[in-house]
Amino acid sequence: MELTLAQGIVKAAALLGAGMCMGMGALGPGIGEGFVAGKACEGIARSPENASLITRTMLVGQAVSESTGIYSLVIALLLIFST
Amino acid sequence: MAKKKSPILKIFIIVFIIEAALVFVSSGFNKQLQIGLDDGKFVFRNIQSHYDLQEKITEEFQIDEYYRQTGETPKIYGSNKTYEFFKNVFGNASAIGTFQLLRMLLIVDILLLFIALLIKRKLLKRPSQPQIIFELTYSALEQFVIETLGVERIHFTPYIVTLFLFIWVCNMVGMIPIPGFMEPTRNLNVPLGLGVFAVAIVHITALKVKGVWGHLQNYLNPVKNPLFLLDIIGEFSKVVSISFRLFGNVLGGAIIITVVSSLVSYVVFPVGLNLFFGMFVGTIQAFVFTMLALTYIGVEISE
Repeated sequence: MELTLAQGIVKAAALLGAGMCMGMGALGPGIGEGFVAGKACEGIARSPENASLITRTMLVGQAVSESTGIYSLVIALLLIFST
Repeated sequence: MAKKKSPILKIFIIVFIIEAALVFVSSGFNKQLQIGLDDGKFVFRNIQSHYDLQEKITEEFQIDEYYRQTGETPKIYGSNKTYEFFKNVFGNASAIGTFQLLRMLLIVDILLLFIALLIKRKLLKRPSQPQIIFELTYSALEQFVIETLGVERIHFTPYIVTLFLFIWVCNMVGMIPIPGFMEPTRNLNVPLGLGVFAVAIVHITALKVKGVWGHLQNYLNPVKNPLFLLDIIGEFSKVVSISFRLFGNVLGGAIIITVVSSLVSYVVFPVGLNLFFGMFVGTIQAFVFTMLALTYIGVEISE
């Protein structure tokens, strides 16, 4: 399809913004989930009999803290597909 | 050494074998394989170029937009006449994605009813294997309800179990490699409806427990709660966060599966991707949605 210059600039800016949005939005959840997993490892090493409870809590906490990354994914998809 | 396998392991193995066979069969052909209806999901379509991939993701992501932009009659409706009918009913905002969504929801409902009837038909004192699985699921979630809400509110268990099973089956049904199958949770309307429902149940329970004024003064009385405006916004953000989490996880998984499996031209990789994004993430997200709904109820009651 043919694009005018202005449309091309808008499309390029949206794609660039989507990339930056995804990159920055993945930073926080990555650090947070790694932190949670490390703490869970420490907890399991300290009390191995609670391993299943700790693992379950860890997974739920990670899935909740992942949501900011998911929001940035939704924003990136909107930027890519709706401009 | 004939070691007895657990039923879940058997199901995993059968799904794995079927999926692997389908992937190998489909990767042998260069043309587009057509099984049944030619719409929706594109497990078997080979992608030639970058633009094909982008078009395909657009179609997966927003099937209404795709057909509106390309201007062709969608094949989901079968014939032109049914398309005209639905266009007359729903107006200019054509209901193409909605039609597919309703069909998938119907399939999920029939599946759940079928499983329930099958289990219910022979309940035994010494339970069979499927019965054990369902009883374990039910009693585990019942234990969560007792831990969070207390024994006197055990009547929330059916709602919680239904929520979990429904979302879980919704997430699993997208892995069946039939063209046109998608997770109903991939459409934002389903998680949003479930989230609104969950928050509505939270408030109805709180109204029952604390009385009308006892509950409403948290949101209307500036003397008791000076930050009442933030609380009102917080209720809306609850709905948004609980529903967008499910939606974004399922949609992101679907797009990653589409992109990566087109890069490797559908050889073996989609099986592993489906195991992770379909089974693992689907189960975790269903569990998280259920737990969050339960926690919202518990927080609202305990005060």
